[in-house]
Amino acid sequence: MNLFRSEEHARRWAEFDPAFAELLQPLDHWAERFSAPLFRNRGRADYITWLLSERAGRRPTP
Amino acid sequence: MTEVALLDRAFAAITARMVATGQAPHYAELAAELGLDVEAGRQTLRDLIETGIPAWLHPGTDYIVSFPPFHNLPTQYRVTVEGEQRWFAQCGFEALAVRWLFPGKRVQIDAPCLDCGEPLRVLMRDELIAVADPETIVGYSRSQVGGAAETRAWR
Repeated sequence: MNLFRSEEHARRWAEFDPAFAELLQPLDHWAERFSAPLFRNRGRADYITWLLSERAGRRPTP
Repeated sequence: MTEVALLDRAFAAITARMVATGQAPHYAELAAELGLDVEAGRQTLRDLIETGIPAWLHPGTDYIVSFPPFHNLPTQYRVTVEGEQRWFAQCGFEALAVRWLFPGKRVQIDAPCLDCGEPLRVLMRDELIAVADPETIVGYSRSQVGGAAETRAWR
């Protein structure tokens, strides 16, 4: 889970694996993914309660 | 097993310490903050890690190595908030989530590109990605991690 200066740099990386090429995405893509409630809610006082509720498929308090 | 309400308090206490100082507390400090004896503090920390949050201890110890989105060991992802570099991110992707713990503040990520070693920089504030230098920055992962497939941040 690393950042690179460009797609060309990522593809040149010694550990690049073409099997995971779909996980090579622009910065904006990852910035949006890491804007999900899973990440935004880490400042909640009841984060673990909320997280366990999410995993159980119940709708937690927003 | 530790009650969930206590795990909530432990998670919040560790997060608050890392936001404030860039360093994770020792379990003895965590115990004191939670009003527990030291051994109960250690068990609470272990139970918190066992919930499956993307955090881990150094093998064979009870030292926190990583606690999302931060890393307690220096990584290549240096985090600067309002001009002060005090934090390290767990990985390049979690670096993008650090901003949610610093609402309203300028959060800057500096890292070397693993291909060429040249620098890259991302400057964020809340929803805004103000600077990406170079503009061509990409993220790449070789692993499918991040929780259940239907809810994980990437898949």
